[in-house]
Amino acid sequence: MSETEKGTRPLRFGLHLALWYATLFVVGSIAIVLLTYLLTASSLAERDRQIIQAKLGEYAAAYERGGFSALADTVGAEQRTAPERLFVRVVDRGAEAVVLSQPEGWDPATLETGSLRLWDGTLVQVGKSTEARADLLARFRAALGLVTLSIVVIALSGGLLATRSALQPIRRLTDAVRRIIQTGRTDARVPRTGWAGSPGGHDAIDELTTLFNAMLDKIEGLVTGMRGALDNVSHDLRTPLTRLRASAEMALAAPPDLERYREALADSVEESDRVLVMLNTLMDISEAESGAMELRREPVGLRDVVARAIDLYRDVADTKRIALATDAPEDIVVTADRTRLEQVAANLIDNAVKYTPEGGRVDVDVRREGNRAVLRVRDTGAGIPAAELPRIWDRLFRGDASRTERGLGLGLSLVKAVVEAHGGTVDVASEPGRGSTFSVALPI
Amino acid sequence: MRALLVEDDETISEFVARGLREAGFAVDRAADGEAGLDAALHQSYDVAVVDVMLPKRDGLAVIDELRRRGITTPVLILSARRSVDDRVRGLQAGGDDYLTKPFAFAELLARVQALVRRATRTPEPTTLTFGDLVLDLLSRRVTRGGASIDLRPREFALLEYLMRNAGKVVSKTMILSHVWEYSFDPQTNIVDVLVSRLREKVDRPFEKKLLHTVRGVGYVLRA
Repeated sequence: MSETEKGTRPLRFGLHLALWYATLFVVGSIAIVLLTYLLTASSLAERDRQIIQAKLGEYAAAYERGGFSALADTVGAEQRTAPERLFVRVVDRGAEAVVLSQPEGWDPATLETGSLRLWDGTLVQVGKSTEARADLLARFRAALGLVTLSIVVIALSGGLLATRSALQPIRRLTDAVRRIIQTGRTDARVPRTGWAGSPGGHDAIDELTTLFNAMLDKIEGLVTGMRGALDNVSHDLRTPLTRLRASAEMALAAPPDLERYREALADSVEESDRVLVMLNTLMDISEAESGAMELRREPVGLRDVVARAIDLYRDVADTKRIALATDAPEDIVVTADRTRLEQVAANLIDNAVKYTPEGGRVDVDVRREGNRAVLRVRDTGAGIPAAELPRIWDRLFRGDASRTERGLGLGLSLVKAVVEAHGGTVDVASEPGRGSTFSVALPI
Repeated sequence: MRALLVEDDETISEFVARGLREAGFAVDRAADGEAGLDAALHQSYDVAVVDVMLPKRDGLAVIDELRRRGITTPVLILSARRSVDDRVRGLQAGGDDYLTKPFAFAELLARVQALVRRATRTPEPTTLTFGDLVLDLLSRRVTRGGASIDLRPREFALLEYLMRNAGKVVSKTMILSHVWEYSFDPQTNIVDVLVSRLREKVDRPFEKKLLHTVRGVGYVLRA
């Protein structure tokens, strides 16, 4: 993956988010600033107009009181002391205009004016310079410009910062995925962090991270299981393959002898059959352990399963004069893969019959215990030493007593794996010299 | 009987072709899917044995194409996959059969013959006879040289299966699936025990032994 490609996408996405954020922020702020400016400007103009109207009223009263001279006196007295001189002009009916007061350096274009016609038709005009107002507004505009500029800066950097921190977990997720793809190591995990504003850390991204990690756990379990299975298979197949090769090699190295060849060939076929059975069983165990086993679940009556398994071993038990009995007072139905369950029952009975000496007993019971169906296989065999008990479910473990018997050492591992794949549990109790009881509990 | 064998592995192809010829089939071989399809479209066969993994066109596609063109030759599918996928299962429901590698030739032959029998609708016999051994399928009675032999149901089922395949070796796996309908291998040799019980009743009292063990392969009813 190239360096440019790396990180481009989240960055571009982040920038996008930041720009959107900033744009919205700036547009909102500018609207507020503009509104403030317009309100200020109009209220300033309104104040000027009110001043002009007040003066007009005052001058009209003076004119009424003493005519033009009273008006001129009032204006003169007033404007001499005023900090900001107004423009006052009187126009009589003869259209002769008399300017009573005017500000220094006045410009008619910058005047806010008002006029009032008096009772005798004389017109009084008052004007106020807007220069001060314009000046104030200009300074206000400059200040607002500065504010807007800083808002843009704050919005952009704030947006970048916010999106950066919001995208941080996504970036971590991306990095973790990339690491896993590049290295093939599934033990990498994405660190969990609640980002600022959610101290509990229960936001959507955190949930995604948790789910992603859970998915990795699952994948890792599968991969580890498969890898372990592969290791086991390659290890366990070496022994029978060595035997296979040895018998063929010995026959070839010896002087030609048809009978010997036939023997060697028969050995080879039997050995390769054993390899196949072992391979299939190991695959079954690993699939069941890793959760990859395909279970065709259907309602299965345990009584029938046990009856069929007992039927399978009836002759073998008879030959060894072992009493093989079953006790299933009620038929308990579990949801399970029928073939797999039959295999479980058969393997347990196989084991019991195999390790019970002539004249012994094997009892197979099915009972309902709470919300579980329990299948028990009890034998009167040699029992298992306490030290070996925990290991009997292990793949290819064969106790000292079992070495003389034919078998792969996989039967119990398969039982455990299949039962656990069905959500059940296995258990064993044993008394050396008196016998063992294997039990399988399945949810009903 | 004409059989078409589509298999790309030379050793397996040779081994199966020779076995089928010895069993009386005229065998044509094809090493890839295209050649197999071509042969099946232009010749008439009683049965075809088709591997799933083939160069150029996979076995299931070949079968699909044949069925699409209305050719109903029964097919035995060979698969190296341990678990049977749904498409193969579907074909099995349609009258074809499958066998997973590695297989015993005896089993392949038995399945091929069963397919041919089914396709040609050979009438079911009511009695099976082999030498002086007679098995009545209706009354479920067995006699040898006129003397009645008392068999338990599993023993009867085993003898029936052996007599139906008289002269052919049947493997332990085949016996297990036909007599008990179990599809997995129990660790104890149950089949050995049943065979020795049957031998005890059918062969022991008589001079001529009929039930033979072929070490490494299975059992055969042979005069």
